[in-house]
Amino acid sequence: MRPFKYTRASDAMNAVSTVSATTSAKFLAGGTNLLDLMKEDVERPTELVDVTKLNFAQIKAANGGVSIGATAKNTDTANHPLIRQNYPLLTQAILASASGQIRNMATNGGNLNQRTRCSYFYDVAMPCNKRTPGTGCGALDGVNRNHAIFGWSEKCVATYPGDMAVALAALEATVKVQTKDGTERTIAFADYHRLPGDAPEKDNNLNHGELITSIELPKNNFADKSYYLKVRERASYAFALVSVAAALETKGNVIENVRLALGGVAHKPWRALEAEKFLKGKAATEVNFKLAAEMEMKTAKPLEYNKFKVELGRRAIARALMQAMNGGKA
Amino acid sequence: MAEDFDELNAVELTADETALLEDLPELSEIGEARRKFLGQATALGLGALALNLLSPEQVFANLEIPADAVFAPVQVENGVKVAMKINGAEKSLNVDSRMTLLDALREKLNLTGSKKGCDHGQCGACTVIVDGRRVLSCLTLTASCEGKQVTTIEGLAKGDELHPMQTAFIKHDGFQCGYCTPGQICSAVALMNEAKNGEASYVTVDVRGKARSIQLSDDEIRERMSGNLCRCGAYPNIVDAIREVHTGKDVAQKWQFAGETETALFENSVSEDAKQ
Amino acid sequence: MVGEAVSRIDGLLKVTGTAAYATDYAIKNTAHAVIFKSAIAAGKILDIDTGAAEKAAGVLAVITHKNAPKLNEKGGIRGGALLQSPNIEFHGQHIGVVVAETFEQARYAARLVKVNYQKTDAKVDFEKHEKEAVMSKEKDKADAVRGDVEAAFQNAEFKVDEIYDTPIEHHQPMEPHATIAVWEGEKLTLYNGSQIVNGAQTAAAATLNLKPENVRIITPHIGGGFGSKGGQWANLILTAVAAKAVNRPVKLALTRQQMFNSVGLRQRNRQHLRLAATKDGKLTALAHETTTHTATTGEYIEPCGDCSKVMYDVPNSLISYRVVPMNIILPTYTRGPGKSTGSFALESAMDELAYQLKIDPIEFRLKNEPAKDPSSGKPWSSRKTVECLKEGAKAFGWEKRKLEPRSNRQGNYLIGYGVACGTYPARQRNTSAIVKLTRNGSDINASIELAASDLGTGTHTILAQTAADALGLPMNKIGVKIGDSALPPAAGSVGSVGAASFANAVNDACEKITDELIAKSGKQFFVRPTAAQLMISENTSEFQTRVDAKPPTDADKFSAHSFNANFAEVRVNDATGMVRVNRFLAATGAGKILNPKTAHSQIIGGGIWGIGMALTEESTLDPRRGNFVTRSFADYHVPSNLDIGAMETIFINEDDKIPNKLGVKGIGEVGIVGVAAAIANAVFNATGKRIRELPITPDKLL
Repeated sequence: MRPFKYTRASDAMNAVSTVSATTSAKFLAGGTNLLDLMKEDVERPTELVDVTKLNFAQIKAANGGVSIGATAKNTDTANHPLIRQNYPLLTQAILASASGQIRNMATNGGNLNQRTRCSYFYDVAMPCNKRTPGTGCGALDGVNRNHAIFGWSEKCVATYPGDMAVALAALEATVKVQTKDGTERTIAFADYHRLPGDAPEKDNNLNHGELITSIELPKNNFADKSYYLKVRERASYAFALVSVAAALETKGNVIENVRLALGGVAHKPWRALEAEKFLKGKAATEVNFKLAAEMEMKTAKPLEYNKFKVELGRRAIARALMQAMNGGKA
Repeated sequence: MAEDFDELNAVELTADETALLEDLPELSEIGEARRKFLGQATALGLGALALNLLSPEQVFANLEIPADAVFAPVQVENGVKVAMKINGAEKSLNVDSRMTLLDALREKLNLTGSKKGCDHGQCGACTVIVDGRRVLSCLTLTASCEGKQVTTIEGLAKGDELHPMQTAFIKHDGFQCGYCTPGQICSAVALMNEAKNGEASYVTVDVRGKARSIQLSDDEIRERMSGNLCRCGAYPNIVDAIREVHTGKDVAQKWQFAGETETALFENSVSEDAKQ
Repeated sequence: MVGEAVSRIDGLLKVTGTAAYATDYAIKNTAHAVIFKSAIAAGKILDIDTGAAEKAAGVLAVITHKNAPKLNEKGGIRGGALLQSPNIEFHGQHIGVVVAETFEQARYAARLVKVNYQKTDAKVDFEKHEKEAVMSKEKDKADAVRGDVEAAFQNAEFKVDEIYDTPIEHHQPMEPHATIAVWEGEKLTLYNGSQIVNGAQTAAAATLNLKPENVRIITPHIGGGFGSKGGQWANLILTAVAAKAVNRPVKLALTRQQMFNSVGLRQRNRQHLRLAATKDGKLTALAHETTTHTATTGEYIEPCGDCSKVMYDVPNSLISYRVVPMNIILPTYTRGPGKSTGSFALESAMDELAYQLKIDPIEFRLKNEPAKDPSSGKPWSSRKTVECLKEGAKAFGWEKRKLEPRSNRQGNYLIGYGVACGTYPARQRNTSAIVKLTRNGSDINASIELAASDLGTGTHTILAQTAADALGLPMNKIGVKIGDSALPPAAGSVGSVGAASFANAVNDACEKITDELIAKSGKQFFVRPTAAQLMISENTSEFQTRVDAKPPTDADKFSAHSFNANFAEVRVNDATGMVRVNRFLAATGAGKILNPKTAHSQIIGGGIWGIGMALTEESTLDPRRGNFVTRSFADYHVPSNLDIGAMETIFINEDDKIPNKLGVKGIGEVGIVGVAAAIANAVFNATGKRIRELPITPDKLL
């Protein structure tokens, strides 16, 4: 860990100006990923601005939906009555991630910005375009079991590791950001995280110094039929091989509205739009769920070590939709 | 500790020590189990004393925070002044901005109960309770702890009296090497509150249900304790210890000798279908 | 007290955070060291620039091969990496150490070192180099042949001929390997987790060119080891070197990431297993051929064929090993070395053959129960496999198992039952012990002293129990002092010899002190008095004796082992392929159980290791670069609490005084043996899929 200056921000605009002024300055919130990366020498900030004392921790009803503050803890978000009642998908996704201790520390804003767990990114002895642009992608010709099957580039095959964001993608949340000129801007969730393309060092479309203030959840009718399914290599406390956020709105047996997002398969939470398109207006049957899954996964481009993710994705999508139909019970 | 180790001699029990050992909180009021447990608790307490020449006073004296800076560095880089309460005592520190709470506890305050298992938030051995919640001290900057209340394993016992969770871990052999134990116990203690507050977990059948005090199933305990790795494999015993504290009811042993009257094996084996 | 379910006497220390592990000692003026490592798998260091590190704040010294002292590389430290040359033998080899005032400063400075390498072709891909494997030079790894295996296979009607693969695994005890080194003149004290206290002492002394009596190891509590703290590794020596260099005490702990290429591993094994049987289920041939890798600088092969030597009555048998040196850190003994992995192959194959024969796998095993050790012809000292299988089956509810797979479904889950046996040798090793008695009025206290170790095994407790009985004192009057090389030399807590060696030595010492007190009294007694009674009757205030205990001379005439039968019920998610172990039961015949509470913990600990082996644990190397891609607890999945279901233990009573006087066989290893096979067999019973490559991750069941 490089030496750095630590300051506590008492005012959002000050925090934004401070970080904006120095390219190697960063915000510190829960720190669960940033400190981890600093100890690995992957992140090397010279200044940390602690934003946890800023007044962005509220979770409240807003515009028919719910606004969740950027510095609210994951635990509080998952357990807030407004979220449990209206967005159980988000509750399940958060609770599927990390551990109780980490969820007590991690903030919602920080969670969105967590970085890939690609082993080549983490190991500074290895080449990685995301960590050090121009050094190559170690995973492309290396062990890429945990890597992307959608949307990767020759520059980077890493996946976004989180769970919460997969649910937020399905819920079509928006991200509110304070910019350095003092204005506020809103980013649609689909535009928040990026595909790697030629610039894998950029995980998302936040500009340096911009601070997330809240995540807005629009009103929806998915609460009765949603489910977050996470497939992993141990029962708990592990990143996803594949995860699925599934949400359905049905009338009789007909699917009026459906949202599907996948985790563990791409550089960003992957909206399964092909599958959604197929399902809309169809009967909510296992056969249709399987056809939809098939349709989505046939566009996948697996790597040498992760071919299994295509079949696993198919099965996980169909199962998550079935579980959603069953009321999302564990 | 090193010095203590050199001076091992036989230990005599003072009246206070005897009293303390009899006062170890038991978990059951049921005749046979209670008698047995007291017998064992006495044995373990005394053995422990003889072992490292620690009288109960000494064991608990160790829990008090010693003077700051056991071996303070010559200069502190990017020093940050932090005032916080640790196990009830006000502490003021001037730390390198890079110093984690775990390293501050261990290296500056000589509170070595919190353990460094991975230093990256992947094992839970460093779990402490900050402002009532379990967190990982290895991923917490000391600098960020201004005004916070920190409870470590050394702060769980009240005076001479162990926390019931500590007693239950001894009774159910909820550890082997003991290295993950302080983190497991801090985690378990905080977990009791989470259950009381009705917080949900990934294996909670219906997360839409109202948050109210809940009775944790074994799978609920397992899921909620999964952030604390134990390599020796004490998990089932840890679950038993937590269940006993959580329910207030005795949890039976899980072993028997062949030929003895069969106890109810797998009494709780009907596992709830965890989500996969 | 022996045989009673006593709670651990060190429990109070462990639950209050006051048990001291290696880095918990507060020693004034301690400096902090951090190791840095090679970024290539083979070649040499052309140039190493430590300038920036040396100039960094707080740095006291940077030690590399260029300025390290000359050490004895054959002193008994495992795995090399002692900074004696610029040569690189594996990825992540230690190439230097930074010492600084604080941990933060040392960690930062270690990142500032720049290294220029000359790479050579590294052998890291086992698939590619497997064919280069040759016979070991070790005598016990030579081909062991009985009868005519090939002829028996040719004539067999029923046979299994399969490859079973187990991956590299890592011990990863929760306490990373760590040391505090303190020099006082030529005398060196090392606070360092050591399963073999005297072994650590002699290896450190020899490597550092010191007299053994000038090196003291202190290790009263060890945060797990599982074999990785049996032999000692370069980090111990580098701490001492660093402390000498800065003339201050130095603390050095490996990071969790560094643990993957610093302290050994369980090697990858490719086991070719063939079994043949008659149609009524009598085995006719068994061939167990293992191919594996070792380091370029040394050899270790885990004995995968050991179980196959003794488990079944089979007239024709072949056990063999082939090994290829590779640029991977030296493998080393890992819980249940060879037996845990070997039993996966053997006991999976037994299950496959039983299914072919349409015989219940328990019945199949009972049909092939050997009357004596088939490999040596020696009689068993005792063998309770039959009882383990029968009692275990009864308690587990084995009768509910259906022979045909996929016949038990509950909702989205397929349920399966599996069984597998295991074994581990029972041995006693030379151990000395001192017992001291002191009396104050009618209050008598005893101190038991020996350089034994307790890595969570319960040594402290069982020795207090043993001494209490042998001296006629309550347990609370017994002080147990272990984990210090200044005490009488003892065997190690390795290979399941600890309990037998330590407890017998303590028992002998207590008997001897009683004899000596009787002799001292000059009286004759009708009933043998206890040492405690004699201290009072003879008005003795202090008395002590020492014993050098050895195993019984005729133990070698018998084949002595612990045996078990493992039962697993799994459920497999029919969509995702995730497997959970609902229930697990081990029935074990392991001689005298000194303390069923701690023994149960040992058995379920082994069981959980087996569950990890079966389902979650795998270390993966990049086949081109030689780095571990699984390099943290986030990638290397040791089981979490939720991975473990209900665990039950049955002990089979066994009164066997042949291996040692107390009849202790040891249980630290046998608990893992057969577990992975029981789970793989249960997965087959659930799904109809036979997985021969561990771990059984979801992708393998799609």
